[in-house]
Amino acid sequence: MNAKMKSSMWLSGGVILVAFATWIYQLQEGLILTNMQNSYSWGLYISGLAFFVGNAAGGLVLTSSIYLFGVKKLKPLAKLGALTAFANVTAAMLIVLPDIGKPQRLLNLILHPNFMSPLVWDVIVLNLYALASATYLYILMLPELTGRLAWLSIKVDNVQEFSEKWAKRLAPVALLFAIGIHVVTAWIFSTQGARDWWHSPAMAPDFVSVAIAVGTTVVLLAGALAYGTGEEYQEAFRLLGLIIFMAVCTHLFLMMNDLVIHAWYGSGETQRIMEIAWGHFVWAHIFEVAAPLIGAWLLLQPAVRRSMPRLSFSSGLLIAGVFVHRFLIMPAAYNNIPMTMTPLGLPHTDWSLPIATGRFFPGMSTFIDQYRYIPSSVEVVILLGIVAYALLLILLAIDRLPILVKEKP
Amino acid sequence: MKMGMVIDLEKCIGCRSCMVACKQHNAQPPQTWWNRVFTPGSHRHLTPPAKGVEFFLPVHCQHCENAPCEKVCPVGATYHAEDGAVLIDYERCIGCRYCMSACPYGVRQFNWEDPEKAHVRSEYQEKYHYGYPEDHRHEGRLVYMPLRPKGIVEKCTFCAQYRDKGELPACVRGCPGKARFVGDLDDPNSEVSVMIKQRNAFTLLPEKGTKPTVFYLPPKAKEV
Repeated sequence: MNAKMKSSMWLSGGVILVAFATWIYQLQEGLILTNMQNSYSWGLYISGLAFFVGNAAGGLVLTSSIYLFGVKKLKPLAKLGALTAFANVTAAMLIVLPDIGKPQRLLNLILHPNFMSPLVWDVIVLNLYALASATYLYILMLPELTGRLAWLSIKVDNVQEFSEKWAKRLAPVALLFAIGIHVVTAWIFSTQGARDWWHSPAMAPDFVSVAIAVGTTVVLLAGALAYGTGEEYQEAFRLLGLIIFMAVCTHLFLMMNDLVIHAWYGSGETQRIMEIAWGHFVWAHIFEVAAPLIGAWLLLQPAVRRSMPRLSFSSGLLIAGVFVHRFLIMPAAYNNIPMTMTPLGLPHTDWSLPIATGRFFPGMSTFIDQYRYIPSSVEVVILLGIVAYALLLILLAIDRLPILVKEKP
Repeated sequence: MKMGMVIDLEKCIGCRSCMVACKQHNAQPPQTWWNRVFTPGSHRHLTPPAKGVEFFLPVHCQHCENAPCEKVCPVGATYHAEDGAVLIDYERCIGCRYCMSACPYGVRQFNWEDPEKAHVRSEYQEKYHYGYPEDHRHEGRLVYMPLRPKGIVEKCTFCAQYRDKGELPACVRGCPGKARFVGDLDDPNSEVSVMIKQRNAFTLLPEKGTKPTVFYLPPKAKEV
């Protein structure tokens, strides 16, 4: 283990501890420590859920490329893909915990599940995907579970053949759950007829394309950090760059397609959504479009893929753009009050019924129809803790398990 | 039996008595209001948005037949009671707030902190408690507590604790204009059913397909 890796692990561990203590504090005081309120009832945590779910798609891209489409060049990255998928899908489940008002009652999800609720579907499919990625990773590692790790192994005749055979068998199943987590997470939002910003059939396919873009970027970045940017990996990186660029383009197409259709018709709801999305949040919106596009375009350049700092910057830019995209799920949904009507006798007038905040803000009215949500420090620290968790898990696994392929591909 | 409410906007004087009665009787924490009365079109209550068009709109849980809040609840804490009221089981709710996003009417309220602490934060008189003093179970499920646990969602119950004793909801009793009526929507001859038919009753956001059981009777144009 090199010094850089060691210090990263200590840093991640420290952040996790601070975040955990912060969560305990939040459990004591309640969600009053966040900056959410009744009219803006989901914030950074649920944006984080969508973000981590997207990051988990790397496993999906690699497994299907290698075992369904026969792209052997990507094989050295297969385990890394499964590992980042597992780390991110568990992070997605963890970030929901601090958003829950009564986490001690989570058992109710098992005792009294309501199968009409997309949230229940999401819990099921996230768990299945976590299980599938872990199993998949295990099967890929099987031939190398020797010596110190022999106790983890299982007895089979030809371990190499067994691993290969089961990886191939598991690939379509894992692919199904992998697509499932993006689709179902999108459905949590897009099934809600109350929120015009979310209520769109484009959301699920868009979630899949964003996920393929950012999930692949996570694997590319992890691969470059683990193996370096040597010539022998360039073909694999080129392929990943291509997948990322196509996925970003598909995402932007799906997003813009939806906006154009709504904007063209020009209903009151759309006008209000546009005012929020392109009014207050115009810079965030420009960033969510430009950053992934520029990042993905840079990753298409051979010179960028050969330089560690440039590759990291481009990947980071894309991931940051997607994070902002996830943050922007909320404002145009919550600042557009669904209970908006045309008052009797006042045609062509839109009027929104103010909502009681449910908590005391000095100098603010109890009833509001607009709210500038900026996450509290508690929310930011807890989110960082989950990022640190994913990072630490990946680093620990790379350190302790045969994740990296030792010989040259 | 399917319970429903009719609110006659012609009779509503915008006094907000129902808001206050609801708040007090149901021991709602500071900044939590199950029931809101506003002046549509105006940013200031009781101020006409234009000459001659002023009316007032009370909005609380619409007890929808096709309730999105019930469908999204992952643990079935929000449920339809036998009589059609949409209730929340305070023992079951995990506080995910999915229902708050799903409700188009913005009636659902979260307990962001312990109500006792909220009282102090809002500088309520010390040890001052208001509202129906006992926990109440409806069909075996805990649907009312004078002191809510932090981290759960609450909303209008049509005053389950009073209805189970044969009394009317606090907003109906507290209305000085007698603008509110409750009755059986299944009975075509009930007072509410007749009013809905004869007075061109409308529901809020019919385009959302939620099928509210709260109906409004349109006001006539008013001299302001």
